[in-house]
Amino acid sequence: MDELRAAIAIGKKDLIVLSRYRIAVVSQIFTPLYQGVIPAFLFGASFAVAGRVVGLDATVGTDNLAGFIFLGGVIAGLVAVSFWSMGMGMRNEMDAGTLEPTWLTPTRHETIVIGRALGGLVWFLLSQVVLFGIGIFAFGLRFDIGILAAVPALVVAIVGMVGVAYLLAGVVLLIRDANFFVDTTNFLFSTASGTAFPVTLLPTVLQPIALLLPTTYAMDLLRQHAIGARPTFDPALEYLGLFATTALLYPLGRWAFARAERSMRIRGTLGQY
Amino acid sequence: MSMLAGDLRAFLAAGQKELRILRRYPLNFIGGLFWSALLPAVYVLMGRAYSGGNDPRALSAFAERAGTTEVAAFVFIGFAMYMWLSSVLWGPGSALRREQIQGSLEATFLSPVSRLVPLFGPGVSALIPMLFSFAVTFVSLWLMFGFVPPLGAAIPVVVVVAVALPAMYAIGSLFAAGVLKYGEIGPVVQIVRGTFVLACGITFPVAMLPAWAQAGAAALPPTYIVSDIRAVVLRGAPLADIGADLLTIVGLTAVIALAAIASFRLLEASARRTGMLGRY
Repeated sequence: MDELRAAIAIGKKDLIVLSRYRIAVVSQIFTPLYQGVIPAFLFGASFAVAGRVVGLDATVGTDNLAGFIFLGGVIAGLVAVSFWSMGMGMRNEMDAGTLEPTWLTPTRHETIVIGRALGGLVWFLLSQVVLFGIGIFAFGLRFDIGILAAVPALVVAIVGMVGVAYLLAGVVLLIRDANFFVDTTNFLFSTASGTAFPVTLLPTVLQPIALLLPTTYAMDLLRQHAIGARPTFDPALEYLGLFATTALLYPLGRWAFARAERSMRIRGTLGQY
Repeated sequence: MSMLAGDLRAFLAAGQKELRILRRYPLNFIGGLFWSALLPAVYVLMGRAYSGGNDPRALSAFAERAGTTEVAAFVFIGFAMYMWLSSVLWGPGSALRREQIQGSLEATFLSPVSRLVPLFGPGVSALIPMLFSFAVTFVSLWLMFGFVPPLGAAIPVVVVVAVALPAMYAIGSLFAAGVLKYGEIGPVVQIVRGTFVLACGITFPVAMLPAWAQAGAAALPPTYIVSDIRAVVLRGAPLADIGADLLTIVGLTAVIALAAIASFRLLEASARRTGMLGRY
């Protein structure tokens, strides 16, 4: 119970800090819009024949371009929260000089990542509501009520991404100057999850990697339920893959985080940056 | 005359200093390699999804708007422009900010050289990342998608780039002047770059924009630069065909450079009064 209170407090603290930087708040909503959504939408629309994106229909079984892009943005946003809020959050504490005092509290160190996950996910939900509002109003975004059926898949994917965040937090603590690492791995993870295009279009050598990511399955299930996209695999198999990869990644992340922490305690690098 | 010679020497020294800093951080080029090759590659795969694996109807619709069916080359050339813009905005565009953070801006301003030297000097350093990203773009386009630009396009591309250099230089300098007023310009770099990406047809054909946005795009040099490079590489257009565009770029360069000088003078005077030079 105490750990839950601590996690909620950490999440609240992150949201309070973020709300103090209003330009950053606005930028976090509009940057994905003008750097990702709008260029992708206009690029996709440039292939449209008589107002229908027939190519997309042939590829994924629906010509709902706005739906395809905005739903990709949901999983890309979830990946970004895991990488930047949860994983890279440790680095921010390091920069602010608050990592050592936080580490000295009786709260378990794993709880810090959970707390950051809570804060990050609340912000993620709020920003998605705004983005979807803009999508519906400005881009003709439409999706089926069946999107609700994808919520369980998203919840499982979130658990898997917390595992990834543990893994990343461990790496970030060890390599310290992790900006480039987080930036590039975030991009690769998001791309391999099929947020921008179906994973079947990835080079053959990269497709097995895509199948190791819970977000790949969550992406596919979300598009199936929300816009009637054609499933890449049998949906039952996709749920199985989602659960299996989450069951693998979560303990793997916890183990890597514990190893990194132990290594830092031995080497005395907690306060270095 | 001796003052002019002194300013020229200072200008070369400022450029040399920036190049030296660039050389000291070779790992930054890994970022250039990664983004120059993979960002456009992802867009090309998006293009495959949107075109249904190169469905002739979808490709023909794209060609009507973009003037070519070579989606990969269209995208890679656009992203070469994107990387060039990035290096101009993050390099010379933020060089004054770096001086401010390092505490050397006041010292530089106390030297007897023209103020235009710190404004335009750092621009030299943007040449190296620009040439690097152009090389990476064309090599990865060839390796990943098998597109080899025609040999005959080499000279026209060099001409377009040579005409475009001062324009890009001027954009970076105009942007740099803003440091004197606002200090932190990181978020502004993102917004300005995002605006160019949206307006100049970098990742999609300009024809997709509404008419008012196309009119705005016509006032921005990168619109002509990227369109002309695509014309000579993808359609084999001779220089005569893009002559009017090149003249427009020269005209816009003069306007932007004058705006950069004027706003720099204005903002410098304001910074002297408010003490902004040493603040950050």
